[in-house]
Amino acid sequence: MDYEALKEQWSEIEDRDGIRLSWNTFPSSRMRNNLPPHYKDISEHAIPPELHPSSTTIEYRLPKPAPTPPIFLFVVDTCQEEDSLKALKDSIIMSLSLLPPHALVGLITYGTMAQVHELGYTECAKSYVFRGNRDYSAKQVQEMLGLMMAPGARQNVQPMQPQPGHPAPPPPMGAAARFLLPVQQCEFQLTNALEQLQRDPWPVANDKRALRCTGVALSVGVGLMESSFQNAGGRIMLFTGGAATEGPGMVVGPELKEPIRSHHDIDKDNIKYYKKALKFYDALAKRTAHNGHIIDIFAGCLDQVGLLEMKGLSNSTGGHMILTDSFTSSMYKQSFARVFDKDANDNLLMGFNASLEVLTTKELKVTGLIGHAVSMNKKSSNVGETECGIGNTCAWKMCGIDPAASYGIYFEIAGQGGPTQMQQGPQKGLIQFLTYYQHSSGQYHLRVTTVGRNMSGPSGDPAIAQSFDQEAAAVLMSRIAVFKADVDDGPDILRWVDRMLIRLCSRFAEYRKDDPSSFRLEKNFTLYPQFMFHLRRSQFLQVFNNSPDETAFYRHVLNHEDVSNSLVMIQPTLDSYSFDQEGSVPVLLDSTSIQPQTVLLLDTFFHILIFHGETMAEWRKAGYQDMEGYENFRELLEAPKEDAKELIQDRFPLPRFIVCDAGGSQARFLLSKLNPSTTHTTGSYGGVSQTAQTIFTDDVSLQTFMDHLMKLAVSGTG
Amino acid sequence: GYEPPQTGYPAAPQAAVSGMTQAFGQMGFGGQQQPAPQAQAAAPAAQRLNPLQPVDISMQGQPFHVADLDLPPPTIILPPNSSVTPSPDANCPPKYVRSTLNAVPTTNSLLKKSKLPFALVIQPYATLHDAEDNVPVQTDQVIARCRRCRTYINPFATFLDHSHRWRCNMCNLTNDVPQAFDWDNIKQQSVDRWQRPELNYSVMEFVAPQEYMVRAPQPLVYLFLFDVSYAAVTSGLLATAARCILESLDRIPNADRRTRLGFMAVDSSLHYFSIPRDGSGQTEASMLVVSDLDEPFLPTPEDLLVSLAECRSNIENFLGKLQSMFQTTQSGFSAMGSALRAGHKLISHVGGKITVLSASLPNIGYGKLEMREDKKVLGTSKESSLLQTANSFYKSFAVECSKTQVSIDMFLFSSQYQDVASLSNLPRYTGGQTYFYPAWNAARTEDAIKFATEFSDYLSSEIGLEAVLRVRATTGLRPSTFYGNFFNRSSDLCAFPAFPRDQAYVVEIAIDETISKQFVCLQAGVLHTTCNGERRIRVMTLSIPTTQILADVYASADQQAITAYFSHKAVERTLSSGLDAARDALQAKLIELLQTYKKELGGGNMGGGGLQFPANMRGLPMLFLGLIKNLGLRKSAQIPTDLRSAALCLLSTLPLPLMIQYIYPRMYSLHDMPDTAGLPDPTTGSIALPPALNLTSANIVPYGLYLIDDGQTQFLWLGRDAVPALVMDVFGTDDKNALKQGKTSLPVLDTEFNERVRAVVEKSRDHKAKGCGSIVVPPLYLVREDGEPSLRLWAQTLLVEDRADQGVSGAQWLGMLREKVSA
Ligand SMILES: [Zn+2]
Ligand SMILES: [Zn+2]
Repeated sequence: MDYEALKEQWSEIEDRDGIRLSWNTFPSSRMRNNLPPHYKDISEHAIPPELHPSSTTIEYRLPKPAPTPPIFLFVVDTCQEEDSLKALKDSIIMSLSLLPPHALVGLITYGTMAQVHELGYTECAKSYVFRGNRDYSAKQVQEMLGLMMAPGARQNVQPMQPQPGHPAPPPPMGAAARFLLPVQQCEFQLTNALEQLQRDPWPVANDKRALRCTGVALSVGVGLMESSFQNAGGRIMLFTGGAATEGPGMVVGPELKEPIRSHHDIDKDNIKYYKKALKFYDALAKRTAHNGHIIDIFAGCLDQVGLLEMKGLSNSTGGHMILTDSFTSSMYKQSFARVFDKDANDNLLMGFNASLEVLTTKELKVTGLIGHAVSMNKKSSNVGETECGIGNTCAWKMCGIDPAASYGIYFEIAGQGGPTQMQQGPQKGLIQFLTYYQHSSGQYHLRVTTVGRNMSGPSGDPAIAQSFDQEAAAVLMSRIAVFKADVDDGPDILRWVDRMLIRLCSRFAEYRKDDPSSFRLEKNFTLYPQFMFHLRRSQFLQVFNNSPDETAFYRHVLNHEDVSNSLVMIQPTLDSYSFDQEGSVPVLLDSTSIQPQTVLLLDTFFHILIFHGETMAEWRKAGYQDMEGYENFRELLEAPKEDAKELIQDRFPLPRFIVCDAGGSQARFLLSKLNPSTTHTTGSYGGVSQTAQTIFTDDVSLQTFMDHLMKLAVSGTG
Repeated sequence: GYEPPQTGYPAAPQAAVSGMTQAFGQMGFGGQQQPAPQAQAAAPAAQRLNPLQPVDISMQGQPFHVADLDLPPPTIILPPNSSVTPSPDANCPPKYVRSTLNAVPTTNSLLKKSKLPFALVIQPYATLHDAEDNVPVQTDQVIARCRRCRTYINPFATFLDHSHRWRCNMCNLTNDVPQAFDWDNIKQQSVDRWQRPELNYSVMEFVAPQEYMVRAPQPLVYLFLFDVSYAAVTSGLLATAARCILESLDRIPNADRRTRLGFMAVDSSLHYFSIPRDGSGQTEASMLVVSDLDEPFLPTPEDLLVSLAECRSNIENFLGKLQSMFQTTQSGFSAMGSALRAGHKLISHVGGKITVLSASLPNIGYGKLEMREDKKVLGTSKESSLLQTANSFYKSFAVECSKTQVSIDMFLFSSQYQDVASLSNLPRYTGGQTYFYPAWNAARTEDAIKFATEFSDYLSSEIGLEAVLRVRATTGLRPSTFYGNFFNRSSDLCAFPAFPRDQAYVVEIAIDETISKQFVCLQAGVLHTTCNGERRIRVMTLSIPTTQILADVYASADQQAITAYFSHKAVERTLSSGLDAARDALQAKLIELLQTYKKELGGGNMGGGGLQFPANMRGLPMLFLGLIKNLGLRKSAQIPTDLRSAALCLLSTLPLPLMIQYIYPRMYSLHDMPDTAGLPDPTTGSIALPPALNLTSANIVPYGLYLIDDGQTQFLWLGRDAVPALVMDVFGTDDKNALKQGKTSLPVLDTEFNERVRAVVEKSRDHKAKGCGSIVVPPLYLVREDGEPSLRLWAQTLLVEDRADQGVSGAQWLGMLREKVSA
């Protein structure tokens, strides 16, 4: 079967079962040492599936009902400009209509202090206030909210005899009756509370940041959910308008003259609050994950909000992370609304409290998972000895799971101690994924996907190479690289990426030893080095052009998306529009693609950028598109916009949309993504179009990169 | 019928002074010392003062009669032309300042010899509202004061040098008369100096100019702390208090429209209320609950302390809902200490009044208290420790409040131990008051009405703010000790974050140097901010003649002022050394006075069982007995600590007329009252009371009906043989067994007698007529002599001259005193 046909087949399986593997033939153990140990397999796991008749996936609807309807606790930052706060309030009020009527909702607002709104109280607006600079324990939160009696409470109390004429007091009410109520029951209270919400009233001096106790607000929210709804599906949705400046989890001090930390500061280990904040949020994330709850972070701020420190909250709980400039932006509004998308049965497209268990036949062992999950610490005989990502377990917990969520799962071939190979006939290795979760319809579901692949024949079996899915492999490698990058520093990761690439090429390319010019790759390997080239240059590994928050955000999204979306992130797509052709033409992600008379459409997944070449920009500024007789020019300008709309359609989060001209400052977004085939170090313009854009960068070009790769691969020094 | 004596002892009318003093002088009481020649030379026209009028105070002689207490204090006889104007108001009336001695010894040794205290009882305000007590106000902001001793110019100053200069009557320094003294800058016209209030009235007020202000006059601020524990809600306290405030909003002083109100509710958490401004689009208050009690903080910087004028309708809305907000509570906690700290934080930048309404012991958070009362120790020497403060928080916090101009009033309602002893520290050091309503319950109409009436009057009271009291005196005299509810900021300055209108203060005066003047002056000044935002000084100047003669001192001693002084001393003694020590000290002091009188002035026992004492002091033994038998001091194993503590608060704060009544209550016979009693007096228009009776059951007949009233509680005593007609006339039923005993109110019947009885009961409560401000409406208890024994016993504790419990009768008391004096 040729590569195109194979790819089609893999894609079909991906669509149907949500599974895609880097290798579609499992090497048998004798060959194990010849292969890079880790990136063996990928599971792209998506739910719920359309039940295909011949599916290898079956989803069971279990009779067990969910303990409670889904819970939505809104945690709202009030240190915001009026218009921004207004937009935020409106969006949350709007979302109430998107929730199932029985869904439980709650509200915490915060600024200098954190307030838990008692929505079940109808006499007046009532909220519990927590100071913003104190690290409240779970027990304190629950006591202070009156969710449990203080220890020995009754002992010191004078006996209370109900007096005649007064009814006996009602039994104490838990969180369910007071703070988290069905939206149909408390919509009025909640809407009122949101509408009345004012900007944090505490005065802020000109040289100060507003005091914002994000840490306390979250910890109170987690404590509230923990008290009454442990292991009942629910999300804590944080809407933050800036960095925490107060109390535990503060990211920057309130003095404006003190800037928020950058990658350079972190690199130099020169930051005041980073480690403490990270420790605080990581502990909170762990607690939340243990409770089975999700934390989503919606940031609406031009500056950083501390995502770097808070990233564990979303990453460990399967929450969303949405980074926008403002809550007034459509990027925020549309992304937020998208969270509440529903299926054909009007059920929210989200699952709760999932566990994923991986079973294998004895030939395979699971070494780890990379994605938004935490380990369930389940040991079994199929758990590998090496660890890739979150390892040493065959089961993981995903507090939040959604149809687009994907997880990289890594396997190794069982060691030589295993049973003898080469039994009769081609042997199959089997993997089974058991996903158990609370469906938003209110029942538990169990989804079972079984994957079987042939084991390879004797050493050098060409079936192995043919079964290589370079796209899946690139995405899996990216996840490992990013996972490592979160703990290691840059240069080491790049060297590791290079080494893995060289080893793969040494193993699977055709070449004569020490003759780079003889180097050839099979069709299903040809793009792989290019993916790695772009991965090395991507924002995932080259962090210094971005803020730490952006890095955290980009990495979060990479760990959530499927193969094709992830590929766009690694290697953006570039399309060109000109008078010469109908519609768009894909062009190389190369500086040579910049031409005066073209319009380019760049999709990096996070950004969608329309770039007008020099001439096009001049014409546009001159307003030709509005003149009679220049309809074709107008159409040319419109075409990329139409296509961009198409791309945005089901993208989550909504990308940032940029329209720019050659020479404009915004063009740097494009330039940073292009292969620097024409850098200022090229010296002369030889061989390259005179009009091509020169990129000022010290990066090596793809050509140089390939030259090095071939040289090293054939030398056997990888 | 009982005929009261028409007069007690003769009060010398000023006009006839010389004739009478001569007459008495000729009587030549034995042992009377002659004045020193030297002093005589200094005061050539020796002033004839009140004559000594000895009487036999024993039961066989002319013993004390309760009507004595209605007589004015011994006359202050000043030399002619002592004051710069001939104004009849030149000297301070006893309503405002009373001296224990209306003839002051010129030397400390004479004072010591007399064994009498020299102290002033100062009651700067005689009513709750200015309109009821017209004190002249000098508005032109020209305030002449002595450069040296800072005395305010007063009717006893003298002018020299063609009236360009004035001589200070305290320190004799000559001062310039301010240029504007004769010119009204505001009205732009010349003023007749001799009409200036400060030269005509010994009690007057100055409107103070800028230099009397540390800051702009603060607005009136009331912060209400409501207990919302189960006890407070189910007793109806919250509902009644909220409703009462709601209905009294118009009565809260707010002439300058700056008055601000704040509200907090307390159980195990602190509940703040943010009240929106009227017309802001919001009408609902929002409740902010803070359960973090460790370090008080404000949940929001806004809308917790709101303008009464600008938020009136939303405040009403809030108060209307307050009860329902907590109707389902079942909290048994009260974090009142934490609430106080939080409340302080809320208002300390302005200052003002924190009004605490609580029915529980603060049992959580700051200043947490414990149920420490032990019935077994009541009546023992260990009882006294229960009267002391259990937690130092209450004093130290009160001092902190004083420094930031925050005053605290406690309204306490518990049916269980509430530790009044500790809680009363808060008012004590901040110029506040403790109001105690034991076992109050709104379900009892009488309770509800009593509290609502009092609380409404309380809210209407025109209190002063950011006040200081200072007493200045003629050189040689020095205010040495101060008693009352305030904080002594420095040796001679009493600080009052809020100045109440229903309290009095005692200031002891030391004689440091021999006084060579014919009369001394004492001036009390209260610098304060009125609740309308005006800075004012109320000045009270009292002049008293001096004497070198012990007899004069005794003849002009004010037994009521002396009793008030010793009441404060007894409370102080109780808190420091215990009840026994306090009672013993009172008894010892009385014996000492009688002995001194006998030894120095030839009085004492007269044989035949007699006991001699000046007529003007003959009530002292019975007043002291009343004090010793008062709820606050009585030896008994039956008095709950909280009741005692509350009584001690009264004994150290009450205005003199109420204090005397609290010590020696009033008893009126109603069944045989004169035809004029209970009806308006034809001349004055006010209700005439029947003659008061001495407090002895000998004055009670079994068929009678009596009112016994100590100013805090009224008992209607119905004799066991009361005839049905009487019962019918008063209560509207002839079956006295059907009458509800205990707390009650008289039915309004269409009979003349019922009307008159009600009028007497009402009139007996009229403190305005007594010359003092008070919010207290004493509850009325019906006691049937043959009914509930505990009620009867309680009422009988007011019969000071009866033998009861562990106390002696009046006759025994006098007999014991006589024995001690003769020994
Ligand atoms: Zn996501
Ligand atoms: Zn002077």
